[in-house]
Amino acid sequence: MNKGKIFKLAKGFRGRAKNCIRIARERVEKALQYSYRDRRTKKRDMRSLWIQRINAGTRIHGVNYGNFMHGLMKENIQLNRKVLSELSMHEPHSFKSLVDISRSAFPGNKNVVPAPQKKGLQILV
Amino acid sequence: MAASATATISLCSSFATHCKISQNLQTLATHFSFPSLSSSSSHKLSSCSLRRPTFPLLIKSSESDSAVVVEAEFQAPEPEAGPDDSEPAALQVVETPSSEAPKREQLFGVVMIGGRQYIVIPGRFIYTQRLKGANVNDKIVLNKVLLVGTKTSTYIGKPVVTNAAVHAVVEEQGLNDKVVVFKYKKKKNYRRNIGHRQPNTRIRITAITGYQDYPAVTLES
Repeated sequence: MNKGKIFKLAKGFRGRAKNCIRIARERVEKALQYSYRDRRTKKRDMRSLWIQRINAGTRIHGVNYGNFMHGLMKENIQLNRKVLSELSMHEPHSFKSLVDISRSAFPGNKNVVPAPQKKGLQILV
Repeated sequence: MAASATATISLCSSFATHCKISQNLQTLATHFSFPSLSSSSSHKLSSCSLRRPTFPLLIKSSESDSAVVVEAEFQAPEPEAGPDDSEPAALQVVETPSSEAPKREQLFGVVMIGGRQYIVIPGRFIYTQRLKGANVNDKIVLNKVLLVGTKTSTYIGKPVVTNAAVHAVVEEQGLNDKVVVFKYKKKKNYRRNIGHRQPNTRIRITAITGYQDYPAVTLES
Protein backbone atom coordinates (compact mmCIF):
# COMPACT_ATOMS: atom_id res chain seq x y z
CA MET A 1 0.00 0.00 0.00
CA ASN A 2 1.17 3.47 -0.60
CA LYS A 3 2.35 5.93 1.97
CA GLY A 4 -0.95 7.70 2.35
CA LYS A 5 -2.71 4.56 3.42
CA ILE A 6 0.09 3.66 5.79
CA PHE A 7 -0.08 7.02 7.51
CA LYS A 8 -3.81 6.77 7.76
CA LEU A 9 -3.48 3.48 9.55
CA ALA A 10 -0.68 4.83 11.71
CA LYS A 11 -2.75 7.47 13.42
CA GLY A 12 -2.22 7.54 17.14
CA PHE A 13 1.04 5.66 17.07
CA ARG A 14 3.81 6.69 19.36
CA GLY A 15 6.73 8.83 18.37
CA ARG A 16 8.10 8.69 14.86
CA ALA A 17 5.93 5.75 13.97
CA LYS A 18 3.14 8.07 12.98
CA ASN A 19 5.29 10.48 10.99
CA CYS A 20 8.19 8.72 9.31
CA ILE A 21 7.41 6.22 6.61
CA ARG A 22 10.15 3.74 7.33
CA ILE A 23 9.14 3.32 10.91
CA ALA A 24 5.44 3.66 10.26
CA ARG A 25 5.46 0.92 7.67
CA GLU A 26 6.92 -1.55 10.13
CA ARG A 27 4.56 -0.58 12.90
CA VAL A 28 1.53 -0.71 10.66
CA GLU A 29 2.45 -4.14 9.40
CA LYS A 30 2.82 -5.29 12.96
CA ALA A 31 -0.51 -3.75 13.87
CA LEU A 32 -2.24 -5.55 11.06
CA GLN A 33 -0.68 -8.83 12.08
CA TYR A 34 -1.90 -8.30 15.60
CA SER A 35 -5.38 -7.53 14.42
CA TYR A 36 -5.43 -10.72 12.35
CA ARG A 37 -4.36 -12.74 15.36
CA ASP A 38 -6.64 -10.97 17.76
CA ARG A 39 -9.77 -11.39 15.72
CA ARG A 40 -9.34 -15.01 16.59
CA THR A 41 -8.43 -14.51 20.22
CA LYS A 42 -11.32 -12.10 20.67
CA LYS A 43 -13.70 -14.97 20.28
CA ARG A 44 -11.89 -16.88 23.01
CA ASP A 45 -11.72 -13.87 25.31
CA MET A 46 -15.37 -13.12 24.91
CA ARG A 47 -16.35 -16.64 25.78
CA SER A 48 -14.17 -16.53 28.85
CA LEU A 49 -15.79 -13.27 29.90
CA TRP A 50 -19.25 -14.67 29.45
CA ILE A 51 -18.37 -17.68 31.54
CA GLN A 52 -17.05 -15.47 34.32
CA ARG A 53 -20.23 -13.45 34.29
CA ILE A 54 -22.45 -16.50 34.34
CA ASN A 55 -20.40 -17.90 37.19
CA ALA A 56 -20.85 -14.74 39.19
CA GLY A 57 -24.55 -14.69 38.47
CA THR A 58 -25.17 -18.26 39.47
CA ARG A 59 -23.08 -18.15 42.63
CA ILE A 60 -25.41 -15.53 43.98
CA HIS A 61 -28.04 -18.23 43.95
CA GLY A 62 -25.75 -20.85 45.41
CA VAL A 63 -24.90 -22.75 42.23
CA ASN A 64 -21.56 -22.77 40.50
CA TYR A 65 -21.00 -22.52 36.79
CA GLY A 66 -20.16 -26.16 36.14
CA ASN A 67 -23.23 -27.55 37.80
CA PHE A 68 -25.39 -24.86 36.26
CA MET A 69 -24.32 -25.71 32.74
CA HIS A 70 -24.67 -29.41 33.45
CA GLY A 71 -28.22 -28.86 34.60
CA LEU A 72 -29.03 -26.82 31.50
CA MET A 73 -27.60 -29.47 29.22
CA LYS A 74 -29.67 -32.09 30.95
CA GLU A 75 -32.80 -30.07 30.42
CA ASN A 76 -31.91 -29.50 26.78
CA ILE A 77 -31.90 -25.73 27.11
CA GLN A 78 -29.72 -24.45 24.31
CA LEU A 79 -29.09 -20.87 25.22
CA ASN A 80 -25.50 -19.97 24.57
CA ARG A 81 -23.14 -18.31 26.97
CA LYS A 82 -23.43 -14.93 25.39
CA VAL A 83 -27.17 -14.79 25.96
CA LEU A 84 -26.87 -16.33 29.42
CA SER A 85 -24.41 -13.67 30.49
CA GLU A 86 -26.70 -10.93 29.19
CA LEU A 87 -29.62 -12.43 31.06
CA SER A 88 -27.60 -12.70 34.23
CA MET A 89 -26.83 -9.00 34.03
CA HIS A 90 -30.11 -7.53 32.89
CA GLU A 91 -32.86 -10.05 33.47
CA PRO A 92 -32.37 -11.27 37.01
CA HIS A 93 -35.74 -12.94 37.28
CA SER A 94 -35.39 -14.93 34.11
CA PHE A 95 -31.91 -15.90 35.16
CA LYS A 96 -33.09 -17.03 38.56
CA SER A 97 -35.71 -19.23 36.96
CA LEU A 98 -32.99 -20.75 34.79
CA VAL A 99 -30.88 -21.42 37.86
CA ASP A 100 -33.84 -23.07 39.55
CA ILE A 101 -34.46 -25.29 36.57
CA SER A 102 -30.82 -26.27 36.51
CA ARG A 103 -30.75 -26.95 40.22
CA SER A 104 -33.74 -29.21 40.02
CA ALA A 105 -32.26 -31.06 37.07
CA PHE A 106 -28.86 -31.51 38.63
CA PRO A 107 -28.69 -30.93 42.35
CA GLY A 108 -24.95 -31.09 42.73
CA ASN A 109 -24.49 -28.18 45.02
CA LYS A 110 -25.40 -29.36 48.46
CA ASN A 111 -22.13 -28.21 49.95
CA VAL A 112 -21.60 -24.91 48.23
CA VAL A 113 -21.14 -22.26 50.87
CA PRO A 114 -21.74 -18.73 49.66
CA ALA A 115 -18.69 -16.52 49.90
CA PRO A 116 -18.55 -14.65 53.20
CA GLN A 117 -20.00 -11.19 52.95
CA LYS A 118 -17.21 -8.67 52.85
CA LYS A 119 -17.86 -5.83 55.23
CA GLY A 120 -17.76 -2.41 53.70
CA LEU A 121 -16.80 0.87 55.29
CA GLN A 122 -20.26 1.16 56.80
CA ILE A 123 -19.09 -0.72 59.87
CA LEU A 124 -16.87 2.17 60.79
CA VAL A 125 -19.69 4.67 60.77
CA MET B 1 -51.82 -5.29 7.40
CA ALA B 2 -49.55 -6.46 4.60
CA ALA B 3 -49.32 -4.70 1.30
CA SER B 4 -49.75 -6.90 -1.68
CA ALA B 5 -46.16 -6.41 -2.62
CA THR B 6 -44.77 -8.10 0.48
CA ALA B 7 -44.31 -11.79 0.82
CA THR B 8 -44.04 -13.90 3.89
CA ILE B 9 -41.11 -16.22 4.02
CA SER B 10 -40.76 -18.84 6.65
CA LEU B 11 -37.08 -18.85 7.03
CA CYS B 12 -36.26 -21.65 9.31
CA SER B 13 -36.73 -24.37 6.80
CA SER B 14 -34.64 -22.75 4.12
CA PHE B 15 -31.45 -22.34 6.07
CA ALA B 16 -30.64 -25.96 6.27
CA THR B 17 -27.30 -25.66 7.97
CA HIS B 18 -28.68 -24.60 11.30
CA CYS B 19 -32.16 -25.94 11.42
CA LYS B 20 -31.46 -29.16 13.19
CA ILE B 21 -31.46 -28.79 16.91
CA SER B 22 -28.22 -30.28 18.11
CA GLN B 23 -26.32 -30.16 21.32
CA ASN B 24 -23.13 -28.66 19.96
CA LEU B 25 -24.01 -25.04 19.58
CA GLN B 26 -21.04 -23.18 18.21
CA THR B 27 -21.96 -19.58 18.48
CA LEU B 28 -18.55 -18.17 19.04
CA ALA B 29 -18.38 -16.26 15.78
CA THR B 30 -19.61 -12.89 16.83
CA HIS B 31 -18.94 -9.80 14.88
CA PHE B 32 -19.83 -7.14 17.37
CA SER B 33 -17.58 -5.33 19.78
CA PHE B 34 -18.54 -5.35 23.38
CA PRO B 35 -19.04 -1.83 24.65
CA SER B 36 -21.01 -3.03 27.61
CA LEU B 37 -17.77 -4.12 29.30
CA SER B 38 -17.34 -0.66 30.70
CA SER B 39 -20.82 -0.30 32.04
CA SER B 40 -21.42 -3.80 33.24
CA SER B 41 -20.73 -2.75 36.79
CA SER B 42 -23.44 -0.19 36.72
CA HIS B 43 -26.16 -2.61 35.81
CA LYS B 44 -28.40 -4.19 38.21
CA LEU B 45 -28.30 -7.55 39.74
CA SER B 46 -29.83 -6.34 42.93
CA SER B 47 -32.28 -3.72 41.86
CA CYS B 48 -34.85 -6.18 40.68
CA SER B 49 -38.04 -4.64 41.94
CA LEU B 50 -40.86 -5.22 39.52
CA ARG B 51 -38.74 -4.06 36.63
CA ARG B 52 -38.87 -6.68 33.89
CA PRO B 53 -37.33 -6.60 30.90
CA THR B 54 -34.79 -3.90 31.41
CA PHE B 55 -33.49 -3.58 27.88
CA PRO B 56 -33.86 0.03 26.75
CA LEU B 57 -36.38 0.65 24.03
CA LEU B 58 -35.26 3.87 22.51
CA ILE B 59 -31.71 3.09 21.47
CA LYS B 60 -31.29 1.47 18.08
CA SER B 61 -28.26 -0.76 18.21
CA SER B 62 -26.22 -2.52 15.65
CA GLU B 63 -26.52 -5.76 17.52
CA SER B 64 -29.37 -6.02 19.92
CA ASP B 65 -27.17 -7.30 22.74
CA SER B 66 -24.93 -4.33 22.84
CA ALA B 67 -27.87 -2.07 23.31
CA VAL B 68 -27.86 -2.70 27.00
CA VAL B 69 -25.15 -0.11 27.49
CA VAL B 70 -27.61 2.69 28.16
CA GLU B 71 -29.89 3.01 31.14
CA ALA B 72 -33.29 1.44 30.79
CA GLU B 73 -36.03 3.63 29.46
CA PHE B 74 -38.60 1.73 31.46
CA GLN B 75 -37.21 3.11 34.67
CA ALA B 76 -38.14 6.64 33.69
CA PRO B 77 -41.97 6.64 33.52
CA GLU B 78 -42.59 5.00 36.89
CA PRO B 79 -40.99 7.42 39.36
CA GLU B 80 -42.58 10.39 37.65
CA ALA B 81 -46.09 9.04 37.94
CA GLY B 82 -45.97 9.59 41.70
CA PRO B 83 -45.79 13.37 42.12
CA ASP B 84 -48.24 13.95 39.29
CA ASP B 85 -51.29 13.27 41.36
CA SER B 86 -50.66 16.10 43.78
CA GLU B 87 -49.73 18.73 41.21
CA PRO B 88 -52.29 21.07 39.72
CA ALA B 89 -53.25 20.37 36.16
CA ALA B 90 -51.24 23.24 34.72
CA LEU B 91 -47.98 21.74 35.91
CA GLN B 92 -48.77 18.25 34.81
CA VAL B 93 -47.59 18.92 31.32
CA VAL B 94 -44.11 19.49 32.63
CA GLU B 95 -44.08 16.51 34.94
CA THR B 96 -44.63 13.78 32.39
CA PRO B 97 -42.02 14.21 29.72
CA SER B 98 -41.22 10.59 29.14
CA SER B 99 -44.61 8.97 28.74
CA GLU B 100 -44.84 10.24 25.20
CA ALA B 101 -44.19 6.95 23.44
CA PRO B 102 -47.12 4.52 23.36
CA LYS B 103 -46.37 1.83 25.93
CA ARG B 104 -45.58 -1.24 23.98
CA GLU B 105 -45.67 -4.50 25.81
CA GLN B 106 -42.34 -5.07 27.49
CA LEU B 107 -41.13 -8.31 26.20
CA PHE B 108 -38.01 -9.77 24.72
CA GLY B 109 -37.05 -13.01 23.09
CA VAL B 110 -33.97 -14.99 22.26
CA VAL B 111 -33.98 -16.14 18.66
CA MET B 112 -31.45 -18.15 16.74
CA ILE B 113 -30.53 -16.96 13.27
CA GLY B 114 -27.69 -18.19 11.17
CA GLY B 115 -26.23 -20.21 14.00
CA ARG B 116 -26.06 -17.25 16.35
CA GLN B 117 -28.43 -16.25 19.11
CA TYR B 118 -29.76 -12.75 19.46
CA ILE B 119 -31.83 -11.06 22.13
CA VAL B 120 -34.62 -9.32 20.24
CA ILE B 121 -37.11 -6.67 21.29
CA PRO B 122 -40.00 -5.58 19.11
CA GLY B 123 -39.24 -2.33 17.37
CA ARG B 124 -35.47 -2.65 17.14
CA PHE B 125 -33.24 -3.91 14.42
CA ILE B 126 -30.42 -6.40 14.42
CA TYR B 127 -27.73 -7.30 11.93
CA THR B 128 -27.55 -10.96 11.02
CA GLN B 129 -25.74 -13.06 8.48
CA ARG B 130 -26.91 -12.48 4.96
CA LEU B 131 -30.24 -14.17 4.39
CA LYS B 132 -30.25 -15.49 0.88
CA GLY B 133 -33.49 -15.16 -0.97
CA ALA B 134 -34.84 -12.34 1.17
CA ASN B 135 -35.53 -9.08 -0.56
CA VAL B 136 -36.01 -5.70 1.02
CA ASN B 137 -39.37 -5.23 2.75
CA ASP B 138 -40.01 -8.92 2.98
CA LYS B 139 -41.79 -10.18 6.03
CA ILE B 140 -39.97 -12.93 7.81
CA VAL B 141 -41.04 -15.39 10.45
CA LEU B 142 -38.34 -16.81 12.68
CA ASN B 143 -39.25 -20.03 14.38
CA LYS B 144 -36.28 -20.89 16.54
CA VAL B 145 -37.30 -18.96 19.61
CA LEU B 146 -35.36 -20.18 22.60
CA LEU B 147 -36.76 -17.97 25.33
CA VAL B 148 -39.46 -15.35 25.68
CA GLY B 149 -39.64 -13.00 28.60
CA THR B 150 -42.47 -10.68 29.50
CA LYS B 151 -42.95 -8.36 32.39
CA THR B 152 -44.20 -11.03 34.71
CA SER B 153 -43.20 -14.40 33.34
CA THR B 154 -40.55 -16.23 31.41
CA TYR B 155 -41.09 -18.94 28.85
CA ILE B 156 -37.97 -21.07 28.70
CA GLY B 157 -37.79 -23.32 25.69
CA LYS B 158 -36.44 -26.85 25.82
CA PRO B 159 -34.89 -26.22 23.43
CA VAL B 160 -37.50 -24.16 21.58
CA VAL B 161 -40.67 -22.45 22.73
CA THR B 162 -43.23 -24.34 20.65
CA ASN B 163 -45.38 -22.31 18.28
CA ALA B 164 -43.56 -19.13 19.15
CA ALA B 165 -42.60 -16.97 16.23
CA VAL B 166 -40.74 -13.74 15.83
CA HIS B 167 -41.98 -11.58 12.98
CA ALA B 168 -39.52 -9.30 11.31
CA VAL B 169 -39.11 -7.21 8.20
CA VAL B 170 -35.98 -7.17 6.09
CA GLU B 171 -34.71 -3.62 5.94
CA GLU B 172 -31.46 -3.77 4.12
CA GLN B 173 -29.00 -6.23 2.63
CA GLY B 174 -25.62 -4.70 3.08
CA LEU B 175 -22.02 -5.37 3.96
CA ASN B 176 -20.16 -5.19 7.22
CA ASP B 177 -17.30 -2.76 7.68
CA LYS B 178 -14.14 -3.67 5.86
CA VAL B 179 -11.67 -5.84 7.68
CA VAL B 180 -8.10 -5.86 6.43
CA VAL B 181 -6.68 -9.37 6.37
CA PHE B 182 -2.92 -8.93 6.33
CA LYS B 183 -0.75 -12.01 6.28
CA TYR B 184 2.96 -11.65 6.79
CA LYS B 185 5.84 -13.99 7.31
CA LYS B 186 9.06 -12.47 8.46
CA LYS B 187 12.28 -12.86 6.47
CA LYS B 188 10.48 -14.81 3.77
CA ASN B 189 9.20 -11.94 1.67
CA TYR B 190 5.61 -13.04 2.09
CA ARG B 191 2.93 -10.40 2.37
CA ARG B 192 -0.69 -10.68 1.45
CA ASN B 193 -3.06 -7.78 1.86
CA ILE B 194 -6.74 -8.60 1.40
CA GLY B 195 -9.81 -6.62 2.30
CA HIS B 196 -12.99 -8.36 3.33
CA ARG B 197 -16.56 -7.22 3.77
CA GLN B 198 -18.93 -9.80 5.09
CA PRO B 199 -22.48 -9.57 3.73
CA ASN B 200 -25.14 -8.95 6.32
CA THR B 201 -28.84 -8.28 6.54
CA ARG B 202 -30.54 -5.78 8.75
CA ILE B 203 -33.92 -6.90 9.98
CA ARG B 204 -36.36 -5.03 12.13
CA ILE B 205 -38.34 -7.00 14.64
CA THR B 206 -42.04 -6.27 14.59
CA ALA B 207 -43.65 -8.76 16.96
CA ILE B 208 -43.16 -11.84 19.08
CA THR B 209 -46.19 -14.12 19.09
CA GLY B 210 -47.34 -17.56 19.90
CA TYR B 211 -45.73 -18.07 23.27
CA GLN B 212 -48.80 -17.78 25.47
CA ASP B 213 -49.68 -21.43 25.68
CA TYR B 214 -46.27 -22.60 26.66
CA PRO B 215 -45.64 -23.44 30.33
CA ALA B 216 -44.18 -20.39 31.93
CA VAL B 217 -42.25 -19.49 35.01
CA THR B 218 -44.15 -16.65 36.61
CA LEU B 219 -42.96 -14.05 38.99
CA GLU B 220 -44.80 -14.28 42.28
CA SER B 221 -44.19 -10.83 43.60
